[in-house]
Formats: sequence, C-alpha cells, structure tokens
Amino acid sequence: MASPHDLENAFSKQIQQCSRCGFCQAVCPVYGVTLRPSYNARGKMLILKEVMEKRIPLNDELIETLFQCTTCGHCETTCPSGVTVPDMIRKVRKDMVGVGSCHPVLKGMNEVLEKQKNIYGETNSEDFGRDKNRKADVVYFVGCVGTYREKEATLSALKLLDRLQVNFTLIDEVCCSGVLEDIGYEMNKALVQKNTDAILATGASTVITGCPYCFRTFTHHPSYATLKERSLLILPMISFLRQFRFGVVTPKRVTYHDPCDLGRHLGIYEEPREVIRQIAPDFVEMRHNRADALCCGAGGGVRGAYPKNSIAIARRRLQEAEEVGAEIILTECNSCVHNLMNAKRSRQNFRIRTTAQFINELMEEAASVGR
Amino acid sequence: MQENLKLAFEEVVGPSNFTDQLIDLISYSYDASDHDHRPEAGLWPTTTEQVSKILSLANEHRIPVTPRGAGTGLAGAAVPNQGGLVLDLCRMNKILEIRIADRLAIVQPGVVYADLERALSRYGFFFPPDPASSSVCTLGGNVATNAGGMRGAKYGVTRDYVLGLEVVLPDGRIMRTGSHCMKSSSGYDLTKLFVGSEGTLGVVTEIILKINPKPMATKTALASFNVLQDAGQAVIDVMHSGIIPSVLEILDPNTIRVLRDHGNIPLPEVMAMILVETDGHTEAETSYQMERVMEVFKKNRVRDFKIATSVAEAEDLWRIRKSIGSVAATLRPSNVSEDVTVPISRVPDLMTGISTIVQKYRLPFVVFGHAGDGNLHPRIMYDPADPDQVKHVHQAVSEIFRLTCDLGGTLTGEHGVGLSKAPYMTWEHDPLALEMMRGIKRLFDPNHILNRGKMALEG
Repeated sequence: MASPHDLENAFSKQIQQCSRCGFCQAVCPVYGVTLRPSYNARGKMLILKEVMEKRIPLNDELIETLFQCTTCGHCETTCPSGVTVPDMIRKVRKDMVGVGSCHPVLKGMNEVLEKQKNIYGETNSEDFGRDKNRKADVVYFVGCVGTYREKEATLSALKLLDRLQVNFTLIDEVCCSGVLEDIGYEMNKALVQKNTDAILATGASTVITGCPYCFRTFTHHPSYATLKERSLLILPMISFLRQFRFGVVTPKRVTYHDPCDLGRHLGIYEEPREVIRQIAPDFVEMRHNRADALCCGAGGGVRGAYPKNSIAIARRRLQEAEEVGAEIILTECNSCVHNLMNAKRSRQNFRIRTTAQFINELMEEAASVGR
Repeated sequence: MQENLKLAFEEVVGPSNFTDQLIDLISYSYDASDHDHRPEAGLWPTTTEQVSKILSLANEHRIPVTPRGAGTGLAGAAVPNQGGLVLDLCRMNKILEIRIADRLAIVQPGVVYADLERALSRYGFFFPPDPASSSVCTLGGNVATNAGGMRGAKYGVTRDYVLGLEVVLPDGRIMRTGSHCMKSSSGYDLTKLFVGSEGTLGVVTEIILKINPKPMATKTALASFNVLQDAGQAVIDVMHSGIIPSVLEILDPNTIRVLRDHGNIPLPEVMAMILVETDGHTEAETSYQMERVMEVFKKNRVRDFKIATSVAEAEDLWRIRKSIGSVAATLRPSNVSEDVTVPISRVPDLMTGISTIVQKYRLPFVVFGHAGDGNLHPRIMYDPADPDQVKHVHQAVSEIFRLTCDLGGTLTGEHGVGLSKAPYMTWEHDPLALEMMRGIKRLFDPNHILNRGKMALEG
C-alpha cells in the first residue's frame, strides 16, 4: 500500500541509510548553539525513521525540530552514508503541512505570499529611484531581502552597475517564491508567472540576481524553465563582476563568508574569492570556509521561526571573523548580511557588506579623493 | 515515572535543562548501534552538584539512569534499554585547565575530542587516542568506552592517558580518584577501573588527562600485496624491526574490491593493502623509519608501494582508507561494524577466518583495521527489512566472536561491550573474573540504577 506521506515513498532508503553515527552533530548549526541532539540531522532522521515505522505520527509535536533547520546542508557534506538531509527536510515539511502541522510563522509567510508580493508583506513598491521595466540588456533582480531589508546594499550594487556602464533595468519583481519549497509549501505559480513575464518583457539577454537563493530558484527550479528555454543567461552578481577590473584596493583585512545557497548548494566557492583578491590584498580565510563554512543562521525559515537561535548561530560565524582579525566581512547574500548585522555586538566593529556594495564604496571613496 | 518525580528532577537542573518532549526522547533512544529503547526523560546537568542530586534522587526511587556523551558508540552502551533517565553530559563542556608544565589537561566530560585537540595544538601538544568519531565524540564517552583509534599501536588508548577522575557514585557521593602526577603506586587504581566501565559504576564529571607533545613530521605510504599471508607476516616482521609505525592499517581483498567497484577508486587487484604512517620530529626521522618498514615489506614480497612526497599525496592515500565506511554503506541499507582484537601475530588468521564465516551467509562485507595493534573492523552490510539477512548477520557476528576468543583475542578493542557484546562476555572472560566484575558492580551500584543491562554485569 502506498504511504500517505510523500517522504516515505521518496526517501525510505535514505532514512534507512542513516547509520546513526552522529558525525553530523559536529557541524549542525542548530545543535551547535543548543547542544540538543534532537535538533541535529541524526535526531531528525531518527524521528523520520519512527514515523516511517509508524511508531509515531506526524503532528505538531515534531514542528520544533523539523522546522528548525536552516537547510544549510553542512550535515550532508560530512555524512559518510550519503544522506541528502536538506532534500528530506523539504519533503517532510510538505508532509507536515499536509497534515496541518506547520510552524505558525512559516504558515504565515505562505499566507502573506498568497496576498502580497514579497515575504515581508510590504505593500510599497521599491524603485530605488529608477524607472523600472525598461528595455535593457540586463535585468537586475534584487530579491526580497535586498528590496526591503538591505536597501543600502542594493543601492550600492545598482550604483556599481552604473559605474561599470551596464545597461540594466529593474523590474516590478515579486518574491521568486523558492523559499516556499523550503518551508513545506509549493511554489506560487502566480508569482513565478509575474517574474517570468516581467523579465521577458524587457528583452534582456541576461539576468543578474542580487540574491543567491533567487539565482538557485531561477536556474534549478522547473517552474522557471521558460527563462532557460528563452536562452537567458542567469548569473549571480559575483559571476557577473568577474569580467571587470575595478582599479581600487583596500588596505583593510577582508574575509569572505560563503552563503550556503551559493557555496554548498551550488559549489561556487572560487569566483567570489577571485573578485575579492583583486580588491583586497590582505584577504584571510575564516577557520571554516568553502564547503565547511559555518551557516549564518538565517535560512530554512529559522530566522523567522526561531530568531534567538538564528542570532546565536550568526554570532558563532562572527566569532570566527574576529579570530582572524577581519575588518571587513564580505558575502554574496543579503540574507546573510542581514542576519550577521543583526547579530553583531557593539564591540565588534567590522563592516559587513556584499562584495558589490563594498567595491562600490571603495570606488566612491577613490572618486571623492580624486576630486 | 511519576509526574512529581519528573518535577523533582526538573527542579535540580532547571526547566531549560530538563526534557520529556517526544523529539528528545526519540533521539535519546539510539546510539550508533542497532539497539533502541525510549527513556522517560532527559537531563542536561551543568554541574557536578546537579549530577550528584540527580543520582541520589534516582537511587532513592530506583530510577534507571543512562549517562550519555555524543551517542556515537557502536555497542549500545548509551541506549537506555530500561527506560528511566538519560543524563546527557554534553553541556558540561569546559576545558578547565591546560597545564603544559605538568603535561596534563583537565576537562569536563562533555568536551568534544576535536575541541581539546584544537586547544592543545596551540601548545604543540595532543591527546593521542584519536577515535574515528573525533570530530563529534566526547571525552567522557572516550573514558567510558576506553576509546581508541588508528594510532593505538604506537600511542595506546584512552586508558593510557587518564590520570585521575571526579566521579559521582550512584548514591550521589562525589569521589576523586588518581592524581595530577605522571605516576603513582598508591593504592588500587580506581581511575583505570572507571575507564571502560561504560557508565555502570558512576558518572564521570571531571577528567585529568596526560597529554603528549605532537610529532610535527609524518610520512605516509600505501603498499599492496598479492598474498594476504605475506601482508600479515610483514606486520609481524615490522614488530621485530624495532620500528613502531604510528599507523599500520590493513585492508582485506573484499575492502579493496568494494572500493574499486563501488567507490570508483582505481585500486589494483591484490589480496591486501597496508597504509603506513611514521611520525617524529624531523623528516629524516620519519623517512628512516619508513625505509625500515619498506625493507620489511620487500622481504615479504610486497607487490608495490607508494610513499607520499607531499601533503596532498598523503591525503590522497588517507582518503582510500577513510572512504571505506561511506563506500561500504552504499551496498545495503544497514551494517554492523565490530572491533574484534587478537594478538598481532594472529591478524592474518582472523582476517581469513572472518572471510570464511561471512561468505557462508552471502552478505557483502569488508575487513580492515589496525593491524599494528591486532584490532580489526569486520563490517557486514545487510537489509534490516529482510529477516533472513538479520538472522544471518547475527549468526556471522556470533561466529566471529567465537573465532576471536579461540584465537586468544578480545571481543572489543575500542568500542566497548554495551548491549551488543554482553551475551558473549562468558566466552572471553574467566568465570571467576566475570564474577569479580559483578561484585565490583554490586559494591558501587547495589541498586543497579546505572546503565543497567550493559556489560553482562547482572548475569
């Protein structure tokens, strides 16, 4: 008999494959700040095993662990048994939503996206002082966090594109809706359609995303297949910046935080470092970097649903930046910037920026000195 | 457990360090073995005094208590098979002191092995046992199981480094054993009695560890042999040579085949491979040792060998050894991994004997391990959903234990007895010795509240 739960059909082998070695506990950010093994990937797999064996039902009692995962994928990189944990978390969250068990904050996020156009339920349409939906070579797709929470970073990125004389336009964008898949819901087809239509209407050949999550969604989710079929080149900002020489350097010590959406999930580690080395001769790595990078704590709905632990996770990352004496932390994700900024203690005086934002600031400084 | 008793335990540690939530009870039902049983509550004590109050209360009400570290054990020692309380010590995770002048470190039981390693490396020191789960396992767990690892032949196991302990006895009394000294001939060695006692005698709340200066140079090589017996003889002859390599890992023909066929690792079709590491303070020192080892290998008809000339090359060789577990895991949904140990000269007999046993049951398996100290890891892959395979695995493991004991070996070199090996303790131990162990258990824990059902102590 087919199981009522999607998870069981798709992943029963994976659940059995977990050898319970617990190696994931060494890297799980949520475990790291709570020292509570039921939050770790093994704890989650054991719960799913008992669900599969029909020893326990899927219900509200499980929300606290199944919805408390940043889907950073660090566990997957250390798993000797090849368990693809983030995929399983996504699936089981759908099953949980299916039986009416979801974290209220995340349920709220889905409801917001049914009515509004962004995850924050903001009603004003940001234009960053520009005419949107113009005909242009390039569409710059900002993303929700960059539009409503990290506006400075976005303004800087847009100015940088101006400096680099890129013929780009903003569009009346809406949430890419990829996050819904992470928190137990389906992609919102209306939002997908709006974004697709708006991008195509510009006649652009390239889409630059300001958010690595949007990039992942555009390039990897089948609902955005139209973009690929129309041969649009979709790039995260950092890959676009690679072709340029900026002619500025900072004497400050710079480190780079790998966002999981660009790093572990897509394997893009070297491009950001290539660009950063160009502008920062004193570049240092934090102890955990690339595939081993610590999570910022924001993903998978954790920032919304479990803010205290989310901040605690970010603080661990900032601690590593402090250990290597970094003055500037660069990253490629507005969401990481946002969470790290929220977690920054007053005595920690490093600047946290997106790479584009920082390059623009350097060029601005150079220009003002030049004047 | 009655609600008012739960409340009493909760009062000892505070609400944020008590749980009877389903999610926690499930995660505390398991370790890395195939045993499971759900406890009634979990506690995260943060001080010795809390542990003392918890045990005293549990003792009074005869509540079973199972101490737990990271739960990476492979023998079920941390599974609360009688229900009751799980005492998770991971929140007692402070490194209290590092005293280089006295060559020791003092830690709480919940300190993760890798965290101590990192702290010691700043001083050029290390804590040598190096269990495979070092990134996650706790030092309390290492003490409880007398954990060891790949460098055991040269550096020994946890027991060789524990100088003293603070232990809470089952009735709540707090006892100090051992000293801060490098040596002591003073009285019974209660410290070492607790090492490997798997939480059956008391709960360790502080550990004094001897530490070693870290050898700064290593040399790594991988050798292959056409005949398994030649590899076995080579290991024996290395012992005669006077060189003790820091690593001497042997891979049997099944392991080599599995890595080649399922792990896409281009290995030759040979009957045995040995990974060797020598260590020391200078390159000359490690090279000298490696040359002597290779001379021995050549005398024993080594087919070929590669000595790494860079860190990257050494890592490549290590990757072969370290990928065995993950590649083998892909063959069947589950596996059982044992750690039988024999006198070094019997390693080839044990390897071929294990093969003969497991082949009868037509299950995929690999045999590899620490040839330098006679500790082998037979790992048998099976599907737990198939009752025949489950039965066959149990039969095979039982026969492997029989063979090991017949070869003068021990059931467990580094994982511990727990639940998995408890039924076989009579095969290994003199009946009188086992009776003495049970007497010791009765002396410390007359009400049998601590980790009941483990190590065949109630038999």
